[in-house]
Amino acid sequence: MSENLYPSHHADDAEACGLSHAIDSSVRLPVIILFGNALHWLVVASLLSLIVSVKLIAPGFLGGMSFLSYGRLAPMARDLMLYGWASQAALAAGIWLMARLCGRPLGTGTGGVLQRTLIISATVLWNLAILLGTLAIFAGYSTGVEWLEYPNWASAMLFLSFLLIGIWALLLFDRRTSGRPEVAQWYLVAGFCSFPWVYGTANLLLTWKPIQASAQGPIQAWFCGGLLGLWLLPVAVAALYALIPRILGTHLHRRDLATLGFWALLFLGGWSGIDRLIGGPIPAWLTSVGVVSGILFIIPIVIIAINLMGTMHRGTPKVEQQGVYEFLKTGLYLLLALGALGLCASMPGINGALNLTGFTEAKSQLCILGVVSFPLFAVLYRSLPALLGRDCWCSTLSGRHYVLTLVGLLMLVSLLLLGGLFTGLALSDPTVTFLNITSYSYPFHLVECVAELLLLIASVILGVNFTVALAGNYLFPKK
Amino acid sequence: MNRLTTLLSGIFLIFLTSWLGLVAYSATQLGRLAPVPDADTGATLPALLGGDAIAGQRIYAAEGCVSCHSQQVRQLSVTPYDVARGWGLRPSVARDYLRESNAFLGSSRIGQDLSNVGVRRAEAKWHYLHLYKPDSVSEGSLMPSYSYLFQVRKIQGQRSDEALDLQGEDAPKEGYEVIPTPAAKNLVAYLLSLRHDYPLPEAPVKKDATK
Repeated sequence: MSENLYPSHHADDAEACGLSHAIDSSVRLPVIILFGNALHWLVVASLLSLIVSVKLIAPGFLGGMSFLSYGRLAPMARDLMLYGWASQAALAAGIWLMARLCGRPLGTGTGGVLQRTLIISATVLWNLAILLGTLAIFAGYSTGVEWLEYPNWASAMLFLSFLLIGIWALLLFDRRTSGRPEVAQWYLVAGFCSFPWVYGTANLLLTWKPIQASAQGPIQAWFCGGLLGLWLLPVAVAALYALIPRILGTHLHRRDLATLGFWALLFLGGWSGIDRLIGGPIPAWLTSVGVVSGILFIIPIVIIAINLMGTMHRGTPKVEQQGVYEFLKTGLYLLLALGALGLCASMPGINGALNLTGFTEAKSQLCILGVVSFPLFAVLYRSLPALLGRDCWCSTLSGRHYVLTLVGLLMLVSLLLLGGLFTGLALSDPTVTFLNITSYSYPFHLVECVAELLLLIASVILGVNFTVALAGNYLFPKK
Repeated sequence: MNRLTTLLSGIFLIFLTSWLGLVAYSATQLGRLAPVPDADTGATLPALLGGDAIAGQRIYAAEGCVSCHSQQVRQLSVTPYDVARGWGLRPSVARDYLRESNAFLGSSRIGQDLSNVGVRRAEAKWHYLHLYKPDSVSEGSLMPSYSYLFQVRKIQGQRSDEALDLQGEDAPKEGYEVIPTPAAKNLVAYLLSLRHDYPLPEAPVKKDATK
């Protein structure tokens, strides 16, 4: 593979000649503010998830108060995880990666100040929307549409602020100086284009001006699939494609395959959401589409794995990049696990038993907390030292964060899977009453609480590490 | 894929496929389904919701009932057990949701499927007790209490007809009674309206089906 096919060396040269420094200082404030807000929502979302999981073993816990009921806290936690943490961190990661990959600072002089002010104002709007939207669910104004619970005005604010932030990623790409785009940039462009499309369409048809309810099911399924598969997943995959070869100082393995993987992911990412409605009140052909796309989704995942695992065989990371590398590697393995899980859950014969059980929940949790979050953590760990211009992370805390997140996630997902399998089998025997099944699910829910607790501790550790890293900048300012 | 416009057109076209197939198809085809006449009574199916049930649907949304309860009896070709379990006489179809403002299909069954709860539990009294103290009518239930949808008040003169028949430690103090608030009444009206047990052209109901 020749040099000009893969411009990672251009970027490395640029790093040497100070262009990277100019790029980093141009995006420093917006990226740090986005990451900082994302982290505090991650902590809040983890805390709410813990409370929600405790309520499943002790339904009376914090009971009797409308605003603390399970039905309000559960969507609050999920939406905070999706929009507060994952989407916001994806915006931060996306802008930093895009600026670096394009070899282009955000802007200089007055224009640059204006651009940064606009992005930061949009970030404030984004977080205000999330805060007010969460409070609205708290107060009983939820729309009741899954993953779109925020009231109209809050979702409109989110939509608008995404446009104001996301447009800069596309403009950076358009004005890049790095020549032929690399794989990570395709994924970033796709991700930044898809959020407004998916979120806008779904809100328009489901909450802003709801269409007849007989048509809402497939649209909702399309939205859930698209939010993960077309927005969050592409940004996470972009982080893998951008960082793994750079950390190893090598080229991407089999770049020719990457094109196929990219288009396959975008194609199936849009269709595969319908797999949650397999057998539901939709025409039979849509059920078939759900089965087929759920199974085929393994194809782009395998291609991504071939690209990146092949690359991983080509080198070993430097000691100081080991931590970031672990997050990326884990993210890739979790992606493979997600593919395998999707494959099993879509298989005719078992999809009926597994759908609507813990299996469905396990897939979303694995995707949001693992496949998407791990690469985003990696970008955070890698970008902050560059942005602050010094080594800022406490490596002990970073290590603990990695272990606790991974253990918590694996516990949570495997318990949900086991619980789902158990419930699915039990529901297939009409003589077993539903309450019987509920009583047997207690141990599963109990261990899920422990897993949620570990995840909460992990996110608090990351939050502390981040805060100390930032504070250190003021305590020991760079010369 | 070097130029932004080329890349964007490719992305646009590929996004368009699922958008046309899942969104535009649903909006134009499923969104235009119409009620059908009932052969026996001449009324239309599915039945219209009353005003209280429509208000109750907002409570159902706000309280996040969909977090735990699905409203879909799945096709027999995918799983025979939704029907076998007694969650419905026949699989649900898109037309069943015509009258709703939102289709609460759900993605999780921590609680039971509710598509036919109005058939299974046709008594408002049962629902009030269940919402107030789930354990009192279904022991071991994971459902939290919705006691905040009820009001404890002093009995003035005669005990209200609406008052809940609570026994033992659930019972209010002597001289007091527990009555449902308008929100609880609307929610129960909505729950009682949930039924997919009528025949539709695309979803006939077998005459001899009893369970």
